[in-house]
Amino acid sequence: MTAVGTADALPDADPDAAWAAVEHGFDQGWSDGLPVVPATRRLVDRFLATVDRSPEEVIGSLEHLHRTVTVELAAINAAMAGCRPEYFPVVLAAWEAVQTDRAATGGGWQSTSGPSPLLVVNGPVRQELGFNSAGGAFGPGFRPNMTVARALGLIVRNALGVVPHGFEQATQGLPGRWQVCLGENEEESPWEPMSVEGGVPAGTSAVSAMLTRTVEYVDNRHTADPEQLLADFADTISRSGALIFGHAPAGVVFCPEHAQLLAGAGMSRADVRAWLVERCGRTKADLARVGKDGVGPNGVRFADGTTPPADFDPLFSGTGPEVLPIAVAGARNAGISMVVRVFTGWSARSVPVLGRTTPGSSS
Amino acid sequence: MATLADVLDPTGRSAVRSVSNTRAPRRADLAGARIGLLENTKHNAALLLDEIGGLLERDRGAVTVLRRTKTAFALPMPQEQLDELVRECDVVLVGVGDCGSCSAAAVADGIALERAGVPTAVICSDAFTTTASAMAEVQGDPGYAYLTTPHPVAVLAPEAVAERAVQLAPQVVGTVTADGATAPREQAS
Repeated sequence: MTAVGTADALPDADPDAAWAAVEHGFDQGWSDGLPVVPATRRLVDRFLATVDRSPEEVIGSLEHLHRTVTVELAAINAAMAGCRPEYFPVVLAAWEAVQTDRAATGGGWQSTSGPSPLLVVNGPVRQELGFNSAGGAFGPGFRPNMTVARALGLIVRNALGVVPHGFEQATQGLPGRWQVCLGENEEESPWEPMSVEGGVPAGTSAVSAMLTRTVEYVDNRHTADPEQLLADFADTISRSGALIFGHAPAGVVFCPEHAQLLAGAGMSRADVRAWLVERCGRTKADLARVGKDGVGPNGVRFADGTTPPADFDPLFSGTGPEVLPIAVAGARNAGISMVVRVFTGWSARSVPVLGRTTPGSSS
Repeated sequence: MATLADVLDPTGRSAVRSVSNTRAPRRADLAGARIGLLENTKHNAALLLDEIGGLLERDRGAVTVLRRTKTAFALPMPQEQLDELVRECDVVLVGVGDCGSCSAAAVADGIALERAGVPTAVICSDAFTTTASAMAEVQGDPGYAYLTTPHPVAVLAPEAVAERAVQLAPQVVGTVTADGATAPREQAS
């Protein structure tokens, strides 16, 4: 069931006044480049009414910029992003999930790498609010997916004050920044929900989050052999351009077809991860060719040139979901999955959605 | 009926901001001055500061007494590190602000050291002046003068880093001694 009611639209809304209010948002510097909804007290109070939280509660800060995020500010920015009030519990869970990423509380938003959150929603809230978890999961086209992700971007921009060309120093950024919030396709996934690995029981609505640098597809409709299929993923995961430090995390959002093929061969999520952890990486010869064969005392790669060519540098620093999170999303119509370039790793802590995620009265 | 004045502010920013451009007292020269180097793990940062420190020793009679690494390069240095630098050094060199977060953090460190009474030269890549200046404003010292060196720094060979040090050394001296105390922001050539 999708919540698309318009019972709370003002019957006498003046389109010209709405346009003026949208322009006001641009004039104030509050917009990410798209129109923002003017956040009135009346509207924001509807957001706050969905959760049992004090509006003054501080839920994030960048002390070095002297800026804080409160529940009230989160609600204002969520309203501006185009969320419906009943999305707000998801916004707060998503924000808290992002805060579990250490880069988000350090200098991540200021980074030249311009990282963007990847949000994964599990549980019944997907149906309650109409989150897309099937075809086109990476968006656009679905209001909850788009506006929840956008709300976080507006919070960082407005409440934390990290604005492009100011404190935000992304060299190029990435396509889909502040736009990726996908429902996990639990209905067609052969495995437990991703949030179970994040410590939240199946059937409980939750959000998982990690910072990412981009996603890149693996299109393999060519083999029914699970090892050939995974070798195709290992090749993309191991590409040298993504390497900065000695090790790097990565993620995979499998399409249902790939996930089902692997599960049909008897592989659990953990088996898939173990297979990839064992094989992903590059030889020193490969790395020397791109000036990245050495690893300095600060962990950063450099052009050494004297390393043993046949030696193998494994990509992953560990074996758990922290370095290789795995989700399932998309349509069951082709073997097309995404490798996710994860910025610093996944906290492996999913955050339960707490609050009212159904439309309220139109007072 | 609501008006545009009723639209809520999403920033939470208070309008009032205290401004203090406190500078540490300047030395007449660097003879016998205890120099501290605060590098931020960025490639070539330690080398550049070392080279400048070496020039100040050779040409100005200073002595490098402390080399410290700021491991959380994205954030201002921890209080203990600030205390140590203030206690042990007469002059501090900070750098290299060569990324989105560390350039801003380096400026915050420089302002903190100045307010604690230690003349400081902060060196940033010239690709990050916007964010470095934005941090100076956030710290209530919008006119804070840091030094810049052309981008990029990280990929320079050691000899090129040494050349940068030669270019920067006189500006560092100008920044931390009486002559340069009132100079506007200087640019490395």
